[in-house]
Amino acid sequence: MGGLVQKVKLFGEYIPWFQAMRDKGAIAFDELGLPTPKTEAWKYTKLRDLNTDDLVIEPSNFLAEMRVAAEEACGCHHEDGGCGCHHHHGEGCCCGHHHEEGECHCHEEGHVCECQQKLHVPFEAYVIHFEKGKMIPPFPDFPRGVEVMNLMEAVLTEDAKEYLGKVVDIKLHPFAALNNAYMEEGIYLCVHKNVKVDKPIVLINHTKSGEENIFFNIRNLIVLEQGAEAEFVEWYNYTGAVKSRYFANVVNEIVLGKNAKLSHYKLQDEAFKANHIALSVVKQKSDSNYHNCCLQRGANIGRNEVKVLLNDENASAEVNAAYIMSGWATLDTTTDILHLSPRTYSSQLVKGVVGGEAKGVFQGKIHIAPDAVQTEGNQLHRALLLTDTAEIDVKPELEIFADDVKCSHGAASGELDENQLFYMQSRGIGREEAKQILIDAYLNEALDKVKNPEIRAWLSDYAHAPQE
Amino acid sequence: MTTPLLEIEDLHARVADKEIIKGFNLTINEGEVHAIMGPNGAGKSTLSNVICGKPGYEITSGSIRFKGKDLTKMSAEDRAREGIFLCMQYPVEIPGVAVTTFLKHSINAVRKYHNLPELDTMEFVKMVREEGKKLGIDNEMIKRPVNVGFSGGEKKRLETLQMNILKPSFAILDEADSGLDVDALKVVAEGMNALRDGKRSMLIITHYQRLLEYVVPDFVHVYADGHIVKSGDKTLAAEIEKDGYAEYTRER
Ligand SMILES: Nc1ncnc2c1ncn2[C@@H]1O[C@H](COP(=O)(O)OP(=O)(O)O)[C@@H](O)[C@H]1O
Ligand SMILES: [Mg+2]
Repeated sequence: MGGLVQKVKLFGEYIPWFQAMRDKGAIAFDELGLPTPKTEAWKYTKLRDLNTDDLVIEPSNFLAEMRVAAEEACGCHHEDGGCGCHHHHGEGCCCGHHHEEGECHCHEEGHVCECQQKLHVPFEAYVIHFEKGKMIPPFPDFPRGVEVMNLMEAVLTEDAKEYLGKVVDIKLHPFAALNNAYMEEGIYLCVHKNVKVDKPIVLINHTKSGEENIFFNIRNLIVLEQGAEAEFVEWYNYTGAVKSRYFANVVNEIVLGKNAKLSHYKLQDEAFKANHIALSVVKQKSDSNYHNCCLQRGANIGRNEVKVLLNDENASAEVNAAYIMSGWATLDTTTDILHLSPRTYSSQLVKGVVGGEAKGVFQGKIHIAPDAVQTEGNQLHRALLLTDTAEIDVKPELEIFADDVKCSHGAASGELDENQLFYMQSRGIGREEAKQILIDAYLNEALDKVKNPEIRAWLSDYAHAPQE
Repeated sequence: MTTPLLEIEDLHARVADKEIIKGFNLTINEGEVHAIMGPNGAGKSTLSNVICGKPGYEITSGSIRFKGKDLTKMSAEDRAREGIFLCMQYPVEIPGVAVTTFLKHSINAVRKYHNLPELDTMEFVKMVREEGKKLGIDNEMIKRPVNVGFSGGEKKRLETLQMNILKPSFAILDEADSGLDVDALKVVAEGMNALRDGKRSMLIITHYQRLLEYVVPDFVHVYADGHIVKSGDKTLAAEIEKDGYAEYTRER
């Protein structure tokens, strides 16, 4: 059996309030169905390449853990127990290949396990590892006032109960409904009142070659209490020569208390045949600030959707993004900023570079409610088309129901400037290198919005890394 | 006899289906400084672009050889790496690319072509500071994006800085003096003179004599209607300054 809807046994079915959310998700998805070309919110991103028929949801780690809880020894095929990687009992070797007994070289002396090599975060951070959508213990030690658990733990303790499923409206988002139906993996992060987290918290999801056709769902709930401050980074990483096909469906629910400040960064670097669909919904109290920047550079269909509800006065949000792609990919950046109170502020800068026969999609909506006066919302999308076959579809929408507001939007696309290229060539810089310099500069305009210089440099490195 | 540095023979070139260069001949030997003077629209910038390999220009006949090699078959970047530098009449703005980043890419690309190791950051910074200082270019300026918001004088100074760093064996200066006040002109002229070592050659393209008072040429050519109509020494420049180009353009 395969596909997006399948029967899988998940942990926590006996918890009524929680299981009810899963059931509602399944029903909502059944009613909504997959978006079609007629679905307005998915007008430009065609899902026919999603190829969901043979997708498989892997068995629950939580249930497996209960079964093997009594076992002490490592269940995988490394004989001396020297297995240093974080993968779970009973899983294959971390290098993704299925070896005959004794053929695995990844634990020979001097060999650094591929997953550890690639999971290196080049800045000081609290790092939480996921592998193909499943959390891999241990958690780092967090300072006082920062509570991090896997989602199921937060369900058991009921810490997640207040907000889980209440930030996102699954009736509007079919993939979020689907995410509800399989809710199990993900993290719960809560930063207590006035606590400022000293280092970024990084969630890395690592997928490797050989893991074809897996469908996984990640659900994160992030709560910043009044006056709390944190940086949260999502990193969707893929390693391997084989272009594996899988589907990652991610939903983040984010709640910002009064005067809370969250910087939220993301790198979508999935396999080129994989699909990645993500939705972040942010609810903001007064004086809070949400600062977001996402770089998409992988996936066949990649969609990053951010919806911000500026619920109270003086809440502000900055939603920036960059994307770089070639081949046949579709990368979609969708934003929906709702100004629901007076004196709320938002700004967006999205920049993309599209090559090959790829397609960039930007849908940006700014909604200003009737009483949201003295509000300011700005939006700018710009794209660079590297080939004649590259395509860009843009849909800016302004819904303004209040007077006395400042609102702007703009969209432009163009090609590399021949005069700039020649100027650089006349200084000895090769034409291809010159193009790369111009592309870097183009994307950096959006990435420069990242406040943390180390994270900015990290993203910027990925923005110009040569694409396979 | 040694090979001339640059040898242009019976060159014909067109841009946008319009023939601009018509039977142009010029030979420049090592160490020589030539000046080309001509009225606006004569095709001076077109000539420099053709020599440097700017796309969009079509050579219909004739030849350009540099150090004995056929230039017309080389990419623009290889011509630069071989030692040709074009100091542009209208330097191009490159938003988002800092002057330092740009210079570093440029120097290292040229070094790599000659199988030299890349400059390390310390060496590079030191060199840019020293050369910049001579031209009145401060640290703040080299952190700014290339030519963005630069005044006319700043742009020409940056061109001169690049030339002095790349140390080309042949520099074409297209209206290097345009838009400069006297002080800036002197600074740029000093930069140019600094490169005159008896081996390097220059082609100074100008509309006025002004710059030639500071960088004195060995030969002066009058260029009109796509080719050289008269050649002489520096006194020819003074003559033109006095009488204008009317005599040479009348035939058109
Ligand atoms: N890209 C182009 N397309 C069409 N005409 C051009 C182009 N570049 C130059 N020209 C024409 O060629 C002639 C010579 O221009 P140019 O070389 O800039 O002259 P100069 O530098 O001597 O003032 C002018 O008539 C100009 O309009
Ligand atoms: Mg000119």
